Amino acid sequence: MNLRNTLPALGALALMTFQLPAQAAVSPDALVGPVAEYKLYVLDNLEDLVSHTEAFTAAIRAGDVDKARALYAPTRVYYERIEPIAELFADLDARIDAREDDYEHGVKDPDFTGFHRLEYALFHDHSTKGMNGYAQGLMDNINTLDSRVQDLTFPPKTVVGGAAALMEEVAATKVSGEEDRYSRTDLWDFQANVDGAREIFSLFRPLAEQEDADTVQRIQQNFDHVEAILAEYRVDPQHPEKGFDAYDEVSDTHRRALVGPVTVLAEDLSTLRGLLGLN
Amino acid sequence: MTDDQHPTRCPFILTDDTALDRRRFLRGAGMTGLGLGLSGLCPGQALARLPHEQAPHRQEMTSAPLEQSEQLAYPFYGRHQQGVVTPRQATGMVVSFDILAMDRDALETLLRTLTARIAFLTRGGSYPEHDPRFPPPDSGTLGPHIAPDGLTMTVAVGTSLFDERFGLASQRPTHLQRMQKFPNDALDAPRCHGDLAIQICANTIDTVYHALRDIIKNTPGGLLVRWKQTGTVPLLPPSPGDLNGSARNFLGFRDGSANPAAEDQPLMNALVWIDGQRDEPPWTHGGSYMAVRIIRNLVERWDRTPLGEQEAIFGRRKMSGAPLSGGQEQDVPDYAADPEGHVTPLDAHIRLANPRTPATEKHRILRRPFNYANGVETNGQLDMGLLFICFQADLAAGFIAVQQRLDGEPLEEYIKPVGGGYFFVLPGVTDDSDFLGRSLLAATA
Repeated sequence: MNLRNTLPALGALALMTFQLPAQAAVSPDALVGPVAEYKLYVLDNLEDLVSHTEAFTAAIRAGDVDKARALYAPTRVYYERIEPIAELFADLDARIDAREDDYEHGVKDPDFTGFHRLEYALFHDHSTKGMNGYAQGLMDNINTLDSRVQDLTFPPKTVVGGAAALMEEVAATKVSGEEDRYSRTDLWDFQANVDGAREIFSLFRPLAEQEDADTVQRIQQNFDHVEAILAEYRVDPQHPEKGFDAYDEVSDTHRRALVGPVTVLAEDLSTLRGLLGLN
Repeated sequence: MTDDQHPTRCPFILTDDTALDRRRFLRGAGMTGLGLGLSGLCPGQALARLPHEQAPHRQEMTSAPLEQSEQLAYPFYGRHQQGVVTPRQATGMVVSFDILAMDRDALETLLRTLTARIAFLTRGGSYPEHDPRFPPPDSGTLGPHIAPDGLTMTVAVGTSLFDERFGLASQRPTHLQRMQKFPNDALDAPRCHGDLAIQICANTIDTVYHALRDIIKNTPGGLLVRWKQTGTVPLLPPSPGDLNGSARNFLGFRDGSANPAAEDQPLMNALVWIDGQRDEPPWTHGGSYMAVRIIRNLVERWDRTPLGEQEAIFGRRKMSGAPLSGGQEQDVPDYAADPEGHVTPLDAHIRLANPRTPATEKHRILRRPFNYANGVETNGQLDMGLLFICFQADLAAGFIAVQQRLDGEPLEEYIKPVGGGYFFVLPGVTDDSDFLGRSLLAATA
């Protein structure tokens, strides 16, 4: 792939410091529609998350290591897409998606549960031995998340800020390849974070465009640029469901090429709340 | 630096609150108590106007830094970048970046942004007003008034910048190369090399980090931090007495006793700055080579070494800094009278580093090091040492030749270079229409 054809938009350089946007004129009422649509997006993803988690945990309980390994990444993507909402429930998030680094005793820590604990068993130990409890726990926690979100009123600030939050996730843990260190399925999560951020951006784009068309255009270009690089690593571009190559396959050049637009996206999306007049 | 190369106006006051700043400045100057006077706070002009014999103080580069006013500002515009012959500040950092920009246009944008930010940061100013619904453009770590605080930022590029990405290969400085392992090195890849490095120095570490965060904030998509190392130099209290003593390193020895005098412009032109006399591309004129080495000191082991052995390893008295051949710190050691090394061993650090012969004069380098302390190794020993920085007009004749003479020295048992790199300090920015690296881009257009 010729990276020069999809250059990251670096226009953000220097502009940010001196940018003093006019008072945002977006009325709070204008946000109601996009927020409601976003809730539908989250609920759709939650439905898929529940059904995929059922299949994933069933495979573990059946001792089918190969099947469980195959289902690991495709299940997680539904969680990764809706992280801004899922993370509102810190207790569940820690049990579902914590990494061993979050615990003093790492993998051996008795409090370490969830997707990444199972990842360790499936991809490091190549075994489901002793995992039934963790599998059941994950299922229970996902179901609890589902029921809590059904009743949740989505705060506009959280929804709009979620786009930036997802890109911060990517910048902090995806580019470095520390998210899925045993399965090497980082690119699935990477794409899911980008999907989630892009969904939010798309919903609010018409409103943001009225305030700052240049920034909106730059965001669009950088999303395109990131996705173009990610597409290079799809197993079969005709069949996106087949997912991505292992993260080890991503060249250093491409890793660095991803950092640029991801960072500019994180910077630009961090202005989205302000553009929409949210405090 | 000469008068015609930068504005004559002393630029240390730029905030609107001029009266307040003047009060602060006067108080700061008074507090130093060292008779620096006004000229001492605008060093470029002071050096340009006064023959160095009359300079208010004969500070050598590696002299312990003096306490300084937060309004101290070094001129940004000039034939050379700041931070090379500038008196060493109390804190310093070398930060190395990978350049993420992917073509020449993006590289130029990046270099222009760097230039604009450094011009602002080294001059100081006010924290910009901003809509609270947006992320603030400044970290705010220095409060509403960003004082220059003696800040210098020196931008240099690594040999990797001259690879195929930007079409610069034909103009690579003659001696610029990837740092190679010396026999005693244990290089840690994540702490080596880089496309671009900035040496950031200031009176306080807060100012250094504020500057770094400003650069990161303003160059998303342009730069990615690869490694950084901070360091400090013990500050000389504002009292007379020890004025010319070199600062001590973490082995307890005065470091830099024989450094060439940075205020001696002809000497700096001969040893540090590149001009038409050198076999270098013309765009490099006004630049220099910067060698950076992160040199761990095995201090626990050193502290268990007899004092006499420590002094023999260095070739100096530990407390006074005097050469073993006698006299005081600044006295030139007498090797001619000691050809067998009975007084100063032939493999003593200072004797190998600078044999004091006419033939080795051209190998002299301008050192500007800082002491670093990072944390604790897994064995419970302290991770501390020297952030070695030196400048020279010829990297091969300078650092590389000196280090090759030092290879195998007894000191190696107590030190372990683990990182760093070689960089080329870009020529200075002459005025606000110029930018860092302009001559390089023009030479390859």
